[in-house]
Amino acid sequence: MNIALLTSEIAVVILALLIIVFDLLMPRQEARRSLGYFAVCGLLGILVYTFNQHGASATVYHGFFVVDKFALFFKQLFIVATILTLLFSFDYIEGLTHNTGEFYALLLLSLVGMMVMASANDLLTVFVGLELMTIIFYILVGFDLRSSKSSEAGTKYLILGSAASAVLLYGMSWVYGFTGSIVLSEIAAHITASPAMLLGLGLMLAGFCFKMSIVPFHMWAPDVYEGAPIPVTAMLAMASKAAGVAVLLRVFLVAFADLQAYWLTIVSLLAGLSMIVGIIVAIWQTNTKRMLAYSSIAQAGYILSGLLAADAAGVKGMLFYAVLYMVANVGAFAVTTAVNNQYGSDKIDDLSGLSQKSPFLAVVMTVSLLSMAGLPPMAGFVGKMYIFMAITDKGYFWIAMLGLVMSMVSVYYYMLVVKVMYSKEAKNQQEFTASVSLRIVALISLIATLFIGIYPGPLAELANAAARSLW
Amino acid sequence: MLLDFGNVGMLLLVALVFPLLALGTAFFIRPRPRQHGIEKSLPYECGVDTVGETWVQFRASYFLYALVFVAFDIETVFLYLWAIKFQELGKFAFIEMFIFLNILLVGLGYAWKKGALEWK
Amino acid sequence: MIGLVHFLTVAAIVFAIGLYGVLSKRTIVGILMSIELMLNAVNINLIAFSRFITPEVLTGQIFAIFTITVAAAEVAVGMAMIFRVYYDRNTVHAARLDEMRW
Repeated sequence: MNIALLTSEIAVVILALLIIVFDLLMPRQEARRSLGYFAVCGLLGILVYTFNQHGASATVYHGFFVVDKFALFFKQLFIVATILTLLFSFDYIEGLTHNTGEFYALLLLSLVGMMVMASANDLLTVFVGLELMTIIFYILVGFDLRSSKSSEAGTKYLILGSAASAVLLYGMSWVYGFTGSIVLSEIAAHITASPAMLLGLGLMLAGFCFKMSIVPFHMWAPDVYEGAPIPVTAMLAMASKAAGVAVLLRVFLVAFADLQAYWLTIVSLLAGLSMIVGIIVAIWQTNTKRMLAYSSIAQAGYILSGLLAADAAGVKGMLFYAVLYMVANVGAFAVTTAVNNQYGSDKIDDLSGLSQKSPFLAVVMTVSLLSMAGLPPMAGFVGKMYIFMAITDKGYFWIAMLGLVMSMVSVYYYMLVVKVMYSKEAKNQQEFTASVSLRIVALISLIATLFIGIYPGPLAELANAAARSLW
Repeated sequence: MLLDFGNVGMLLLVALVFPLLALGTAFFIRPRPRQHGIEKSLPYECGVDTVGETWVQFRASYFLYALVFVAFDIETVFLYLWAIKFQELGKFAFIEMFIFLNILLVGLGYAWKKGALEWK
Repeated sequence: MIGLVHFLTVAAIVFAIGLYGVLSKRTIVGILMSIELMLNAVNINLIAFSRFITPEVLTGQIFAIFTITVAAAEVAVGMAMIFRVYYDRNTVHAARLDEMRW
């Protein structure tokens, strides 16, 4: 048994446990910010280590856990997302509660859940990783003890999330019963299109779509995004969604590949609906986080539509899109955090006059939003292009057209936000301050978005290699 | 197949009839309060009369104990499997279980240090 | 002889009751109990399949143990969340969680 393949996960667990122990040993009054720096440094080390595993393609525990390029791609995405989120949210977390040490430890443990999901090669590992991530997110969403919105959001997420898990699990039990195995490749070998099998498949699809907030399983997303502390919202939007995508891809393309004829139509409908609902409803939002929630529903629709191609080109588009979506979201949430630190609320109105107070952050927000809308030369354009090209090849022209039209509409509401920043007067003349680490994260997001947009080659190569390792 | 469910049906019938019978008997032979006055219907040699609300709220501290208990309760489930196969699994599983228990111990220590086990 | 179909029927009924409870219960505690019911239906399914389909490997039973663990963790977090809600609003009625909508 080659336990070395699990090193990165084990390292993150140890890091989290160390933070818990240090938190206990530190004097009660002392600020926990040093623990945050410790977490960031540890994660950077683990990120560097994961590059070591490139080229590996092996399984542990009787094929339950696989390390290949696909898993590594997602793991690195999750680690980078966590590092950036931690960096821009030190000030915000400090104001949240006294137990900030717990916050860092929990965030790291949820990261472990996502990493396990990326590597999961059987239904049990999928389930355990998924629940590790989700249960910790229930806690994190309700972490803001000052706000009753936070506990409300946490409770809603908990109830809907566990019900969705139960549905997913019921589907898994049927799939297990009718194939006699829970390992994905063996499921693929024994699969038949019996009604019970299709029931299991449908229930599992519903469960995964809930985690990715695909319409019509999206009802939790706006409330939870609005009520949760901003760093948690950012992680939910970027990493938790990407983890859902990773699992969905592996399960549907490895285990259920032979039932394509049955799930392709449903997936196309779900993707189309998500684009329409996410973008239309976002127009009326007045809260930045809620607006980003609806935008994330639409983006999930775009990502999901890549599954329709069911080949390496489509998966490549999805992976590429997941990365650029993460990068754009980091920028948008960093700016939201800065504004929230200033005014204590996250209305879109609070962004007014940002262009005079902090021109740099206004530019970052604009570029991030336009990247999500898919305007060239931002990264979002290239990502949408890859996905649409891949699915047009397979005859899903109407989805590509719908996506194009909807991204035109989305430009309108993203521009509404930009207009608030550039043409409205600021509410007061207070000095606008933002910490250095937040500015650095914003700068990284800006550069990455433009770089990927203008020169997509290297990332596309990486995504392509990762996508090919699935077959 | 349906005949097998018949046994369950019989059990269900008994389960329904038995409490109804007991309650019904009590209903018929109980003293009528209207006839003998309120004193007659008070409990006799069956404890103390309640004072105030009978629905009391318990302290939240019970809940913290319960949480710690649940953590170790579930741990036992995994310990069982490990214990059954202990001889065959060997050194690796022994160390693994040791690590598992230690993680739980860190959790217990955390709860202790944060004051979850204190009765305030 | 009681066969696989019996177990699956019971599991389906329990699952349906749980789902109905999630949708219709008014207090959060009731909803959590209904979710437990759904998870237990899954356990029945898994163990029945393990017994009848793959009697020589215990995959389903191991899966059930993990389900139980996860359910316990979920309830622990759920109860803590109910405490928070009760502290904030002095009620555990799901309908009172209406600060955010649309």
